[in-house]
Amino acid sequence: MKRFQLLEEEEIKTIHEATLEILEKIGIRCKSEKFREVLADNGCKVEGEWVKFPPEVVERFLQKVPAEFKLYGRDGKTVLEIGKKHAYAQNCSGTPRVVDLDTGERREYVLQDLADMTRLIDALPNIHIVSCGVPTDVEEQVYMVVEIATMLRNTMKPVRLPIESAAEMKYICELLSLLAGSMEQFRQKPFLYLEVSPLSPLDYAREPADLIIALAEEGIPVGIIPCPMMGATGPMTLIGSVAQHNAEIVAGVVAAEMVNPGVPVMMSPRVTFMDMRSGLGLWAAPETGLAGVCSAQLANYYNIPVSVSGYSAAAQVADQQSGYERCYNALLNALVGVDVLAAAGALDNCLTQCYVQLVLDDEISSMVRSTFRKLDVAPETLAVDVVAEVISTKGSFLGHKHTRKYLRAGELWMPPVGSRLSFNEWAETKETIEDRARSKAKEILQSERTPVLDPQVEAEMDRIIETARKELTAA
Amino acid sequence: MTGEEILAEVMNAVIEGEEELAEKWVQEAINQQIDPLEVLNNGLTKGIEIVGKKFADGYYFLPDMLLGAKAMERGIGLLEPLLVGEKRKAAGKVIMGTVEGDLHEIGKNIVVMMLKTAGYQVNDLGVDVPAARFVEAVRAEKPQVVGISALLTTTIARQQEIIELLIEEGLRKEVKVIVGGAPINQRWADEIGADGYAEDAMRAVDLVRNLLKN
Repeated sequence: MKRFQLLEEEEIKTIHEATLEILEKIGIRCKSEKFREVLADNGCKVEGEWVKFPPEVVERFLQKVPAEFKLYGRDGKTVLEIGKKHAYAQNCSGTPRVVDLDTGERREYVLQDLADMTRLIDALPNIHIVSCGVPTDVEEQVYMVVEIATMLRNTMKPVRLPIESAAEMKYICELLSLLAGSMEQFRQKPFLYLEVSPLSPLDYAREPADLIIALAEEGIPVGIIPCPMMGATGPMTLIGSVAQHNAEIVAGVVAAEMVNPGVPVMMSPRVTFMDMRSGLGLWAAPETGLAGVCSAQLANYYNIPVSVSGYSAAAQVADQQSGYERCYNALLNALVGVDVLAAAGALDNCLTQCYVQLVLDDEISSMVRSTFRKLDVAPETLAVDVVAEVISTKGSFLGHKHTRKYLRAGELWMPPVGSRLSFNEWAETKETIEDRARSKAKEILQSERTPVLDPQVEAEMDRIIETARKELTAA
Repeated sequence: MTGEEILAEVMNAVIEGEEELAEKWVQEAINQQIDPLEVLNNGLTKGIEIVGKKFADGYYFLPDMLLGAKAMERGIGLLEPLLVGEKRKAAGKVIMGTVEGDLHEIGKNIVVMMLKTAGYQVNDLGVDVPAARFVEAVRAEKPQVVGISALLTTTIARQQEIIELLIEEGLRKEVKVIVGGAPINQRWADEIGADGYAEDAMRAVDLVRNLLKN
């Protein structure tokens, strides 16, 4: 399939040059001495808290990034080929609220929601990577450890989360070793990637900087995900924000490769916009998609895996608005070529997670990805002889085996929850797609299920969490 | 091979929609001197009933139905000469056709196939059928139901003409008339004095079944 390109190759190069200029002349601010040291050791210039990148240093380390890496499911079957632009769907992170599945009311997102949503996604074939919201009932000190454990307990699918506390790294590695056998075995078949979010503009605070070093040292696939807001923490031009944003991401990518050349990296551009009346961060304008496309074209120019926000919505409920917002941004980016479309299940500018929307996003993801089915142009699919046969026998294609063969092969996409009934048939129940998605979510969550982990592994996990709780609370 | 095994193969050929296999196994049954009526009822018909069930349950689609029906018909073609005088077990007899001036038939064909699958004996008059031919066929074949299909808004009036001609010829009370086609609705069916209308092929079968019950 030919990929869609919004920007000309020359324009991409020009934005890349602007990126180099930003990193060379302005650089990044960094409070972590360790991080500054790594950069200085590899040819960057440190001036107080600011680090400036000579263009040749940037170019050299960009070359070291693997163009592809694999994320594995723990089921022994699932393999996600990151770098091949499969547009895998990943659900939203960072949501402090959720739409309750029973009442339909918005409320705080709690740990039980993380467990339930993980379990729901586990049963949705077109959502490939499980991420997490912001549970409001978990102690701050062991936040990441508890989140990761909760996800690993409820799914075999690959997992991803934004990581904010370097102190928890030790225990996270213990969890990964527990499930993989050892960190070495985890590195061979990673089932998780972690993302670090520096501040815009161009500010690597201590925690994200130290985390990039820690993740690279452990060989855990690392994503760089700053989130500038056009007109507030980035310039009020889409291209200007994309360029600044690209510089922020490239700085992190380069640093990770300096620590551990060849460590898998994901560029995760998220140019967002500020609503100029309310000050709200907007995550689902068409410009979200356009900015994502520009950033993705840059990542593709570098040959580095990329994730963008595809399934976000500004809509407050799962409705027609939430549908068109995510469909536009997801499809647009998928056509250009991205590895991950994030924010599935999100509403309310990525502040609210919604079970019903997750089921609907499974459907949209299935449709979006069906765009990449291989359309073979070959005698068998051109079917000229079939046409001749049907005409000569005065039959219809309905009664030809070729029809049955390709119908069964999936030549026609079928909506998992969408309805194609005739009006009258539909009118017997008048069920909307949201009604059906709600029923499906409930059915999945109420179904019997064998535990994902062995009791001994569960117990060992509890022990790791308990130790982390004690040690980190004492510290 | 036992007779039972051969009948099972006949049935499977229909379920799988394999015309050639249906022909092969029906021929084998004939060679083995199995009663043709039994081949029809316990082989072909049993197979098509399963095809219909799989369709109703959502496992089969229209092409599966059509291929099943084709396999069954191929088998019946071999049995027919041997069945003369025998009474074929059918749920009812239906005549179908598309009106004069209209060449659209895919919808009508699907209804024909669904009716056959449901065990009805159907005579399909084809397309561009003049009113007089519908009437002749009703007189000669004495079906319980006649189905009139029209797709074009310019040809649906022919449905009314056929009903009027049936009345004129004194045949209207002998037969139930059903109408179908994309522009048709229940109001039109009532207006022209038809006995029924269905919006898709599945419902057309239910409609015929209900009309024959009364």
